[in-house]
Amino acid sequence: MKKKVYRKSIIKVSDLYKSFNNNIVLKNINFELLEGESLAIIGESGSGKSVLLKNIIGLLKPDRGSIKIDNTEMVNLQRNSKEEILLRLGITFQHGALFDSLKNWENIIFKIANQDKMNKKEGKKLAFAIIKQLGLKPEILDLYPSEISGGMQKRVAIARAICGNPKILLFDEPTSGLDPVTGSLIDKLIKTAVKTIGGSAITITHDMASVCRIADKVILIDKQTISWSGTPREMFVSENTKIQEFIKPINSEIFFK
Amino acid sequence: MLYFFSNFLGGIGKKFLDFVANIGHFFIFFVSAISWMLKPPWYFKKIFQQTLDIGYFSLPVVGLTTFFSGMVLALQTYNGFTEFNSETTVARVVLTSITRELGPVLTGLMVAGRVGAKMAAEIATMKVTEQIDALGTLGTRPMQYLIAPKIIAAIICIPLLVLIGNTIGILGGYVIAIYKLNFNPNLYLYATIEYLQLMDIIQGIVKAAIFGLIISMVSCYFGYNATKGAEGVGFATTSSVVISSVLILTSTYIITALFFG
Repeated sequence: MKKKVYRKSIIKVSDLYKSFNNNIVLKNINFELLEGESLAIIGESGSGKSVLLKNIIGLLKPDRGSIKIDNTEMVNLQRNSKEEILLRLGITFQHGALFDSLKNWENIIFKIANQDKMNKKEGKKLAFAIIKQLGLKPEILDLYPSEISGGMQKRVAIARAICGNPKILLFDEPTSGLDPVTGSLIDKLIKTAVKTIGGSAITITHDMASVCRIADKVILIDKQTISWSGTPREMFVSENTKIQEFIKPINSEIFFK
Repeated sequence: MLYFFSNFLGGIGKKFLDFVANIGHFFIFFVSAISWMLKPPWYFKKIFQQTLDIGYFSLPVVGLTTFFSGMVLALQTYNGFTEFNSETTVARVVLTSITRELGPVLTGLMVAGRVGAKMAAEIATMKVTEQIDALGTLGTRPMQYLIAPKIIAAIICIPLLVLIGNTIGILGGYVIAIYKLNFNPNLYLYATIEYLQLMDIIQGIVKAAIFGLIISMVSCYFGYNATKGAEGVGFATTSSVVISSVLILTSTYIITALFFG
Protein backbone atom coordinates (compact mmCIF):
# COMPACT_ATOMS: atom_id res chain seq x y z
CA MET A 1 0.00 0.00 0.00
CA LYS A 2 1.25 3.45 -0.97
CA LYS A 3 2.04 5.56 2.07
CA LYS A 4 0.27 8.91 2.09
CA VAL A 5 2.79 11.73 2.52
CA TYR A 6 1.69 14.85 4.35
CA ARG A 7 2.72 17.93 2.46
CA LYS A 8 2.86 21.39 4.00
CA SER A 9 0.67 24.17 2.62
CA ILE A 10 2.90 26.82 1.01
CA ILE A 11 0.33 29.21 -0.44
CA LYS A 12 -3.35 29.11 0.40
CA VAL A 13 -5.80 31.50 -1.24
CA SER A 14 -9.34 31.50 0.15
CA ASP A 15 -12.43 33.35 -0.98
CA LEU A 16 -10.46 36.07 -2.75
CA TYR A 17 -12.26 38.94 -4.48
CA LYS A 18 -10.67 41.81 -6.38
CA SER A 19 -12.23 44.61 -8.39
CA PHE A 20 -11.09 47.88 -9.98
CA ASN A 21 -13.59 50.76 -10.07
CA ASN A 22 -16.55 48.43 -9.53
CA ASN A 23 -15.31 46.15 -12.32
CA ILE A 24 -14.94 42.68 -10.79
CA VAL A 25 -11.75 40.98 -11.94
CA LEU A 26 -11.56 38.04 -9.56
CA LYS A 27 -14.25 36.43 -7.43
CA ASN A 28 -14.38 33.49 -5.07
CA ILE A 29 -10.84 32.31 -5.81
CA ASN A 30 -9.78 29.30 -3.73
CA PHE A 31 -6.71 27.15 -4.23
CA GLU A 32 -3.74 25.74 -2.37
CA LEU A 33 -0.13 25.20 -3.38
CA LEU A 34 1.57 22.39 -1.47
CA GLU A 35 5.23 21.85 -0.71
CA GLY A 36 7.10 20.47 -3.73
CA GLU A 37 4.18 21.14 -6.03
CA SER A 38 4.17 22.99 -9.33
CA LEU A 39 0.93 24.75 -10.15
CA ALA A 40 0.08 26.30 -13.51
CA ILE A 41 -2.53 29.01 -13.84
CA ILE A 42 -4.04 29.31 -17.30
CA GLY A 43 -6.68 31.58 -18.74
CA GLU A 44 -7.34 34.00 -21.54
CA SER A 45 -5.50 37.32 -21.73
CA GLY A 46 -7.14 39.78 -19.36
CA SER A 47 -8.73 37.04 -17.25
CA GLY A 48 -6.99 38.29 -14.10
CA LYS A 49 -4.08 35.82 -13.78
CA SER A 50 -1.46 38.53 -13.23
CA VAL A 51 -3.83 40.37 -10.89
CA LEU A 52 -4.04 37.18 -8.82
CA LEU A 53 -0.24 36.94 -8.69
CA LYS A 54 0.03 40.60 -7.65
CA ASN A 55 -2.47 39.95 -4.86
CA ILE A 56 -0.40 37.02 -3.64
CA ILE A 57 2.81 39.05 -3.47
CA GLY A 58 1.07 42.02 -1.85
CA LEU A 59 1.35 44.50 -4.71
CA LEU A 60 -2.43 44.66 -4.80
CA LYS A 61 -4.79 44.38 -1.89
CA PRO A 62 -7.79 42.08 -2.31
CA ASP A 63 -11.25 43.48 -1.64
CA ARG A 64 -11.85 40.47 0.54
CA GLY A 65 -10.45 37.03 1.23
CA SER A 66 -7.37 35.48 2.67
CA ILE A 67 -3.88 34.77 1.31
CA LYS A 68 -1.57 32.67 3.42
CA ILE A 69 2.09 32.09 2.61
CA ASP A 70 3.78 29.55 4.89
CA ASN A 71 0.70 29.81 7.10
CA THR A 72 1.15 33.56 7.57
CA GLU A 73 -1.80 35.73 6.62
CA MET A 74 -0.51 38.23 4.07
CA VAL A 75 -3.53 40.53 3.80
CA ASN A 76 -3.09 43.44 6.23
CA LEU A 77 0.26 42.06 7.39
CA GLN A 78 2.71 44.70 8.67
CA ARG A 79 5.23 45.92 6.11
CA ASN A 80 8.32 44.50 7.83
CA SER A 81 6.84 41.03 8.20
CA LYS A 82 5.58 41.11 4.61
CA GLU A 83 9.06 42.06 3.37
CA GLU A 84 10.56 39.15 5.30
CA ILE A 85 8.18 36.73 3.61
CA LEU A 86 8.73 38.25 0.16
CA LEU A 87 12.46 37.58 0.55
CA ARG A 88 11.65 33.84 0.53
CA LEU A 89 10.01 34.21 -2.87
CA GLY A 90 11.55 34.26 -6.33
CA ILE A 91 9.37 36.25 -8.69
CA THR A 92 9.49 37.03 -12.39
CA PHE A 93 7.23 39.64 -13.91
CA GLN A 94 5.46 39.42 -17.24
CA HIS A 95 7.87 41.78 -19.01
CA GLY A 96 10.98 40.91 -17.05
CA ALA A 97 11.09 44.17 -15.04
CA LEU A 98 14.89 44.25 -15.08
CA PHE A 99 16.46 47.44 -13.74
CA ASP A 100 17.63 49.49 -16.74
CA SER A 101 20.31 51.33 -14.81
CA LEU A 102 22.03 48.17 -13.56
CA LYS A 103 24.14 45.69 -15.50
CA ASN A 104 22.76 42.18 -15.94
CA TRP A 105 24.96 40.66 -13.23
CA GLU A 106 23.88 43.40 -10.80
CA ASN A 107 20.27 42.65 -11.66
CA ILE A 108 20.74 38.93 -11.02
CA ILE A 109 22.33 39.27 -7.59
CA PHE A 110 20.27 42.33 -6.54
CA LYS A 111 18.41 40.61 -3.70
CA ILE A 112 21.42 38.71 -2.38
CA ALA A 113 23.67 41.77 -2.59
CA ASN A 114 21.14 43.74 -0.55
CA GLN A 115 21.14 41.13 2.18
CA ASP A 116 24.82 40.17 2.30
CA LYS A 117 27.25 42.72 1.01
CA MET A 118 29.41 41.07 -1.63
CA ASN A 119 32.17 42.42 -3.81
CA LYS A 120 32.03 42.68 -7.60
CA LYS A 121 34.08 39.51 -8.15
CA GLU A 122 31.89 37.36 -5.88
CA GLY A 123 28.73 38.84 -7.37
CA LYS A 124 29.77 38.15 -10.94
CA LYS A 125 30.85 34.62 -10.03
CA LEU A 126 27.45 33.91 -8.50
CA ALA A 127 25.60 35.46 -11.46
CA PHE A 128 27.71 33.41 -13.88
CA ALA A 129 26.90 30.16 -12.06
CA ILE A 130 23.19 30.90 -12.49
CA ILE A 131 23.16 32.05 -16.12
CA LYS A 132 25.13 28.95 -17.13
CA GLN A 133 22.06 26.85 -16.27
CA LEU A 134 19.93 29.09 -18.46
CA GLY A 135 22.07 28.76 -21.55
CA LEU A 136 23.32 32.34 -21.44
CA LYS A 137 26.84 33.40 -22.31
CA PRO A 138 29.04 35.10 -19.71
CA GLU A 139 29.52 38.13 -22.01
CA ILE A 140 26.01 39.33 -21.26
CA LEU A 141 26.84 39.84 -17.57
CA ASP A 142 28.58 43.15 -18.20
CA LEU A 143 25.88 44.44 -20.54
CA TYR A 144 22.78 46.41 -19.60
CA PRO A 145 19.33 44.82 -20.10
CA SER A 146 18.66 47.17 -23.04
CA GLU A 147 21.71 45.73 -24.82
CA ILE A 148 20.41 42.14 -24.96
CA SER A 149 17.46 40.56 -26.76
CA GLY A 150 13.98 40.19 -25.25
CA GLY A 151 14.46 36.43 -24.83
CA MET A 152 17.75 36.95 -23.02
CA GLN A 153 16.13 39.57 -20.79
CA LYS A 154 13.49 37.03 -19.87
CA ARG A 155 16.19 34.53 -18.91
CA VAL A 156 18.07 37.15 -16.87
CA ALA A 157 14.80 37.87 -15.06
CA ILE A 158 14.45 34.15 -14.30
CA ALA A 159 18.07 34.09 -13.12
CA ARG A 160 17.24 36.96 -10.75
CA ALA A 161 14.22 35.04 -9.45
CA ILE A 162 16.10 31.81 -8.74
CA CYS A 163 19.23 33.50 -7.33
CA GLY A 164 19.56 32.49 -3.68
CA ASN A 165 17.48 29.32 -4.19
CA PRO A 166 14.12 30.60 -2.93
CA LYS A 167 11.70 27.87 -1.88
CA ILE A 168 8.70 29.53 -3.51
CA LEU A 169 8.86 30.50 -7.16
CA LEU A 170 6.28 32.63 -8.93
CA PHE A 171 6.59 33.03 -12.68
CA ASP A 172 4.41 35.29 -14.80
CA GLU A 173 4.60 33.99 -18.37
CA PRO A 174 8.22 32.85 -18.18
CA THR A 175 8.31 31.35 -21.68
CA SER A 176 6.35 33.94 -23.66
CA GLY A 177 8.45 35.44 -26.42
CA LEU A 178 11.03 32.66 -26.24
CA ASP A 179 11.91 30.19 -28.99
CA PRO A 180 10.74 26.58 -28.36
CA VAL A 181 14.24 25.38 -27.47
CA THR A 182 14.79 28.08 -24.87
CA GLY A 183 11.20 27.70 -23.66
CA SER A 184 11.82 24.01 -23.09
CA LEU A 185 15.07 24.85 -21.29
CA ILE A 186 13.22 27.23 -18.96
CA ASP A 187 10.60 24.56 -18.28
CA LYS A 188 13.30 22.06 -17.36
CA LEU A 189 14.86 24.63 -15.08
CA ILE A 190 11.56 25.30 -13.29
CA LYS A 191 11.04 21.58 -12.87
CA THR A 192 14.59 21.07 -11.61
CA ALA A 193 14.28 24.01 -9.21
CA VAL A 194 11.11 22.53 -7.74
CA LYS A 195 12.55 19.02 -7.52
CA THR A 196 16.08 19.71 -6.30
CA ILE A 197 15.44 22.37 -3.69
CA GLY A 198 12.08 20.94 -2.68
CA GLY A 199 10.50 24.21 -3.69
CA SER A 200 7.04 25.02 -4.93
CA ALA A 201 6.11 27.03 -7.99
CA ILE A 202 3.20 28.90 -9.47
CA THR A 203 3.50 29.57 -13.18
CA ILE A 204 1.14 31.75 -15.14
CA THR A 205 1.24 30.77 -18.77
CA HIS A 206 -0.60 30.49 -22.07
CA ASP A 207 1.84 27.89 -23.30
CA MET A 208 0.04 24.56 -22.96
CA ALA A 209 3.15 22.59 -23.91
CA SER A 210 4.87 24.27 -20.98
CA VAL A 211 1.92 23.39 -18.70
CA CYS A 212 2.26 19.72 -19.65
CA ARG A 213 5.98 19.77 -18.97
CA ILE A 214 6.07 21.57 -15.61
CA ALA A 215 2.75 21.36 -13.83
CA ASP A 216 1.49 18.87 -11.26
CA LYS A 217 -1.77 20.76 -11.03
CA VAL A 218 -3.55 23.23 -13.33
CA ILE A 219 -6.21 25.82 -12.63
CA LEU A 220 -8.17 27.70 -15.25
CA ILE A 221 -9.42 31.20 -14.58
CA ASP A 222 -12.44 32.03 -16.65
CA LYS A 223 -15.26 34.52 -16.05
CA GLN A 224 -13.41 35.97 -13.03
CA THR A 225 -13.23 32.70 -11.14
CA ILE A 226 -11.57 29.27 -11.12
CA SER A 227 -13.72 27.36 -13.55
CA TRP A 228 -11.65 24.20 -13.73
CA SER A 229 -8.81 22.53 -11.82
CA GLY A 230 -7.04 19.23 -12.21
CA THR A 231 -3.85 17.59 -13.40
CA PRO A 232 -2.39 18.13 -16.89
CA ARG A 233 -3.53 14.61 -17.86
CA GLU A 234 -7.07 15.38 -16.72
CA MET A 235 -7.14 18.38 -19.06
CA PHE A 236 -7.16 16.03 -22.04
CA VAL A 237 -10.25 14.21 -20.87
CA SER A 238 -12.04 17.25 -19.54
CA GLU A 239 -15.39 18.24 -20.98
CA ASN A 240 -14.90 21.88 -20.00
CA THR A 241 -15.23 23.78 -23.29
CA LYS A 242 -12.64 26.38 -22.36
CA ILE A 243 -10.11 23.67 -21.45
CA GLN A 244 -10.84 21.96 -24.75
CA GLU A 245 -10.15 25.23 -26.59
CA PHE A 246 -6.83 25.53 -24.78
CA ILE A 247 -5.66 21.97 -25.45
CA LYS A 248 -6.87 21.76 -29.04
CA PRO A 249 -3.48 22.57 -30.60
CA ILE A 250 -1.63 20.17 -28.28
CA ASN A 251 -0.81 16.56 -28.98
CA SER A 252 -0.94 14.97 -25.54
CA GLU A 253 0.99 11.87 -26.61
CA ILE A 254 4.14 13.91 -27.08
CA PHE A 255 4.11 14.93 -23.45
CA PHE A 256 2.73 11.88 -21.70
CA LYS A 257 4.39 9.08 -23.61
CA MET B 1 -30.67 73.22 -21.34
CA LEU B 2 -30.99 72.18 -17.71
CA TYR B 3 -29.26 68.89 -18.54
CA PHE B 4 -26.38 70.75 -20.20
CA PHE B 5 -26.09 73.11 -17.22
CA SER B 6 -26.07 70.31 -14.64
CA ASN B 7 -23.49 68.42 -16.69
CA PHE B 8 -21.33 71.51 -16.87
CA LEU B 9 -21.52 72.07 -13.12
CA GLY B 10 -20.91 68.36 -12.50
CA GLY B 11 -17.77 68.54 -14.66
CA ILE B 12 -16.43 71.49 -12.70
CA GLY B 13 -17.22 69.74 -9.42
CA LYS B 14 -15.42 66.57 -10.53
CA LYS B 15 -12.34 68.54 -11.61
CA PHE B 16 -12.31 70.31 -8.25
CA LEU B 17 -12.65 67.05 -6.32
CA ASP B 18 -9.85 65.48 -8.43
CA PHE B 19 -7.68 68.50 -7.70
CA VAL B 20 -8.29 68.22 -3.94
CA ALA B 21 -7.63 64.46 -4.08
CA ASN B 22 -4.35 65.08 -5.92
CA ILE B 23 -3.25 67.61 -3.31
CA GLY B 24 -4.03 65.03 -0.63
CA HIS B 25 -2.08 62.30 -2.47
CA PHE B 26 0.85 64.65 -2.93
CA PHE B 27 0.84 65.53 0.77
CA ILE B 28 0.86 61.84 1.76
CA PHE B 29 3.70 61.21 -0.73
CA PHE B 30 5.61 64.22 0.66
CA VAL B 31 5.37 63.05 4.28
CA SER B 32 6.23 59.47 3.32
CA ALA B 33 9.26 60.57 1.26
CA ILE B 34 10.58 62.77 4.08
CA SER B 35 10.18 59.96 6.62
CA TRP B 36 12.01 57.47 4.35
CA MET B 37 14.73 60.07 3.78
CA LEU B 38 15.46 60.17 7.50
CA LYS B 39 15.49 56.40 8.07
CA PRO B 40 18.54 54.15 7.56
CA PRO B 41 19.84 52.53 5.44
CA TRP B 42 21.00 55.43 3.30
CA TYR B 43 22.12 54.44 -0.17
CA PHE B 44 25.27 56.56 -0.36
CA LYS B 45 26.25 55.28 -3.80
CA LYS B 46 22.88 56.34 -5.18
CA ILE B 47 23.11 59.71 -3.41
CA PHE B 48 26.56 60.24 -4.94
CA GLN B 49 25.31 59.31 -8.43
CA GLN B 50 22.41 61.74 -8.07
CA THR B 51 24.73 64.45 -6.76
CA LEU B 52 26.84 64.09 -9.89
CA ASP B 53 23.79 64.14 -12.12
CA ILE B 54 22.01 67.06 -10.49
CA GLY B 55 25.05 69.11 -9.51
CA TYR B 56 28.00 68.46 -11.75
CA PHE B 57 26.15 67.84 -15.02
CA SER B 58 23.89 70.88 -14.52
CA LEU B 59 26.89 73.20 -14.18
CA PRO B 60 27.23 74.06 -17.91
CA VAL B 61 23.56 74.98 -18.38
CA VAL B 62 23.40 76.92 -15.09
CA GLY B 63 26.72 78.64 -15.80
CA LEU B 64 25.70 79.75 -19.30
CA THR B 65 22.28 80.98 -18.19
CA THR B 66 23.52 83.01 -15.25
CA PHE B 67 26.53 84.36 -17.18
CA PHE B 68 24.34 85.76 -19.96
CA SER B 69 21.75 86.99 -17.46
CA GLY B 70 24.48 88.95 -15.66
CA MET B 71 25.59 90.42 -18.98
CA VAL B 72 22.06 91.44 -20.01
CA LEU B 73 21.41 92.88 -16.58
CA ALA B 74 24.54 95.06 -16.76
CA LEU B 75 23.63 96.33 -20.23
CA GLN B 76 20.00 97.08 -19.39
CA THR B 77 20.84 98.75 -16.10
CA TYR B 78 23.47 100.89 -17.80
CA ASN B 79 20.94 102.01 -20.41
CA GLY B 80 18.55 103.05 -17.66
CA PHE B 81 21.09 104.67 -15.37
CA THR B 82 23.52 106.42 -17.75
CA GLU B 83 22.57 109.81 -16.33
CA PHE B 84 23.28 108.74 -12.74
CA ASN B 85 26.37 107.33 -11.09
CA SER B 86 26.15 104.23 -13.28
CA GLU B 87 29.43 102.55 -12.26
CA THR B 88 28.23 101.83 -8.74
CA THR B 89 24.56 101.49 -9.69
CA VAL B 90 25.21 98.84 -12.34
CA ALA B 91 27.36 96.83 -9.90
CA ARG B 92 24.72 97.11 -7.22
CA VAL B 93 21.78 96.17 -9.44
CA VAL B 94 23.65 93.20 -10.96
CA LEU B 95 24.73 91.97 -7.54
CA THR B 96 21.37 92.33 -5.82
CA SER B 97 19.33 90.94 -8.70
CA ILE B 98 21.58 87.95 -9.18
CA THR B 99 22.02 86.99 -5.52
CA ARG B 100 18.45 87.61 -4.44
CA GLU B 101 16.38 86.48 -7.42
CA LEU B 102 17.90 85.64 -10.76
CA GLY B 103 20.58 83.24 -9.51
CA PRO B 104 18.24 81.00 -7.50
CA VAL B 105 15.23 81.29 -9.83
CA LEU B 106 17.12 80.71 -13.08
CA THR B 107 19.06 77.84 -11.53
CA GLY B 108 15.82 76.35 -10.20
CA LEU B 109 14.08 76.63 -13.57
CA MET B 110 17.03 75.17 -15.46
CA VAL B 111 17.36 72.25 -13.04
CA ALA B 112 13.58 71.69 -13.17
CA GLY B 113 13.82 71.43 -16.95
CA ARG B 114 16.92 69.30 -17.07
CA VAL B 115 16.91 67.17 -13.93
CA GLY B 116 13.22 67.25 -12.94
CA ALA B 117 12.14 65.99 -16.36
CA LYS B 118 14.76 63.24 -16.22
CA MET B 119 13.76 62.16 -12.70
CA ALA B 120 10.07 62.02 -13.62
CA ALA B 121 10.73 60.14 -16.87
CA GLU B 122 13.06 57.64 -15.18
CA ILE B 123 10.71 56.84 -12.30
CA ALA B 124 7.63 56.81 -14.55
CA THR B 125 9.33 54.34 -16.92
CA MET B 126 10.27 52.15 -13.97
CA LYS B 127 6.69 52.32 -12.77
CA VAL B 128 5.02 51.37 -16.04
CA THR B 129 7.51 48.57 -16.73
CA GLU B 130 6.94 47.03 -13.27
CA GLN B 131 10.51 47.76 -12.14
CA ILE B 132 9.21 49.52 -9.02
CA ASP B 133 7.01 46.51 -8.25
CA ALA B 134 10.05 44.28 -8.72
CA LEU B 135 12.12 46.44 -6.34
CA GLY B 136 9.53 45.91 -3.63
CA THR B 137 9.76 42.14 -4.00
CA LEU B 138 13.56 42.10 -3.83
CA GLY B 139 13.98 43.30 -0.27
CA THR B 140 14.23 46.98 -1.16
CA ARG B 141 11.86 49.79 -0.35
CA PRO B 142 11.31 51.83 -3.51
CA MET B 143 10.76 55.10 -1.61
CA GLN B 144 14.03 54.65 0.24
CA TYR B 145 16.07 53.31 -2.68
CA LEU B 146 14.72 55.45 -5.52
CA ILE B 147 13.13 58.60 -4.16
CA ALA B 148 15.09 59.51 -1.00
CA PRO B 149 18.53 59.73 -2.71
CA LYS B 150 17.09 62.08 -5.35
CA ILE B 151 15.59 64.40 -2.73
CA ILE B 152 18.73 64.42 -0.57
CA ALA B 153 20.95 65.13 -3.59
CA ALA B 154 18.67 67.91 -4.88
CA ILE B 155 18.57 69.67 -1.50
CA ILE B 156 22.37 69.55 -1.29
CA CYS B 157 23.23 70.33 -4.92
CA ILE B 158 20.92 73.17 -5.89
CA PRO B 159 22.21 75.58 -3.18
CA LEU B 160 25.77 74.82 -4.35
CA LEU B 161 24.72 75.38 -7.96
CA VAL B 162 23.15 78.70 -6.94
CA LEU B 163 26.38 79.83 -5.23
CA ILE B 164 28.34 78.98 -8.38
CA GLY B 165 25.64 80.50 -10.62
CA ASN B 166 25.67 83.71 -8.56
CA THR B 167 29.44 84.02 -8.96
CA ILE B 168 29.25 83.39 -12.72
CA GLY B 169 26.32 85.83 -13.10
CA ILE B 170 28.22 88.57 -11.29
CA LEU B 171 31.21 87.78 -13.49
CA GLY B 172 28.99 88.18 -16.57
CA GLY B 173 28.01 91.66 -15.39
CA TYR B 174 31.65 92.48 -14.68
CA VAL B 175 32.74 91.41 -18.20
CA ILE B 176 30.19 93.70 -19.85
CA ALA B 177 30.84 96.56 -17.45
CA ILE B 178 34.59 96.49 -17.99
CA TYR B 179 34.98 95.41 -21.62
CA LYS B 180 31.92 96.98 -23.22
CA LEU B 181 30.92 99.86 -21.00
CA ASN B 182 34.54 100.73 -20.16
CA PHE B 183 33.99 101.04 -16.39
CA ASN B 184 36.90 101.22 -14.03
CA PRO B 185 37.52 97.61 -12.89
CA ASN B 186 38.66 98.58 -9.38
CA LEU B 187 35.70 100.84 -8.83
CA TYR B 188 33.26 98.20 -10.10
CA LEU B 189 34.77 95.48 -7.95
CA TYR B 190 34.85 97.75 -4.92
CA ALA B 191 31.15 98.59 -5.43
CA THR B 192 30.30 94.91 -5.81
CA ILE B 193 32.09 93.94 -2.60
CA GLU B 194 30.70 96.92 -0.72
CA TYR B 195 27.11 96.04 -1.53
CA LEU B 196 27.47 92.33 -0.98
CA GLN B 197 25.08 91.39 1.84
CA LEU B 198 25.29 88.14 3.79
CA MET B 199 21.48 88.11 4.10
CA ASP B 200 21.11 88.14 0.30
CA ILE B 201 23.32 85.08 0.00
CA ILE B 202 21.58 83.24 2.84
CA GLN B 203 18.20 84.03 1.32
CA GLY B 204 19.40 82.69 -2.05
CA ILE B 205 20.61 79.47 -0.45
CA VAL B 206 17.37 78.99 1.48
CA LYS B 207 15.42 79.51 -1.76
CA ALA B 208 17.65 77.07 -3.59
CA ALA B 209 17.19 74.36 -0.94
CA ILE B 210 13.40 74.82 -1.12
CA PHE B 211 13.55 74.70 -4.92
CA GLY B 212 15.54 71.46 -4.64
CA LEU B 213 12.83 70.01 -2.44
CA ILE B 214 10.09 71.21 -4.82
CA ILE B 215 11.77 69.90 -7.99
CA SER B 216 12.68 66.48 -6.61
CA MET B 217 9.40 65.97 -4.76
CA VAL B 218 7.15 67.04 -7.65
CA SER B 219 9.14 65.06 -10.25
CA CYS B 220 9.25 61.93 -8.13
CA TYR B 221 5.54 62.24 -7.32
CA PHE B 222 4.46 62.44 -10.95
CA GLY B 223 6.89 59.68 -11.94
CA TYR B 224 5.83 57.39 -9.09
CA ASN B 225 2.15 57.75 -9.92
CA ALA B 226 2.50 57.33 -13.68
CA THR B 227 0.09 55.00 -15.47
CA LYS B 228 -0.87 54.17 -19.06
CA GLY B 229 2.50 53.27 -20.60
CA ALA B 230 4.37 55.71 -22.81
CA GLU B 231 1.59 58.29 -22.65
CA GLY B 232 1.80 58.22 -18.86
CA VAL B 233 5.57 58.77 -18.96
CA GLY B 234 5.07 61.81 -21.22
CA PHE B 235 2.36 63.20 -18.96
CA ALA B 236 4.51 62.72 -15.84
CA THR B 237 7.48 64.46 -17.46
CA THR B 238 5.52 67.47 -18.72
CA SER B 239 3.54 67.84 -15.51
CA SER B 240 6.65 67.69 -13.35
CA VAL B 241 8.38 70.50 -15.29
CA VAL B 242 5.28 72.73 -15.46
CA ILE B 243 4.26 72.27 -11.81
CA SER B 244 7.85 72.61 -10.53
CA SER B 245 8.33 75.84 -12.52
CA VAL B 246 5.06 77.34 -11.28
CA LEU B 247 5.86 76.38 -7.67
CA ILE B 248 9.38 77.84 -7.98
CA LEU B 249 8.01 81.18 -9.18
CA THR B 250 5.31 81.19 -6.50
CA SER B 251 7.58 80.21 -3.66
CA THR B 252 10.28 82.72 -4.61
CA TYR B 253 7.75 85.50 -3.97
CA ILE B 254 6.73 84.03 -0.62
CA ILE B 255 10.34 83.59 0.53
CA THR B 256 11.30 87.10 -0.63
CA ALA B 257 8.30 88.53 1.20
CA LEU B 258 9.30 86.61 4.35
CA PHE B 259 12.92 87.81 4.22
CA PHE B 260 12.47 91.38 3.00
CA GLY B 261 8.73 92.04 3.27
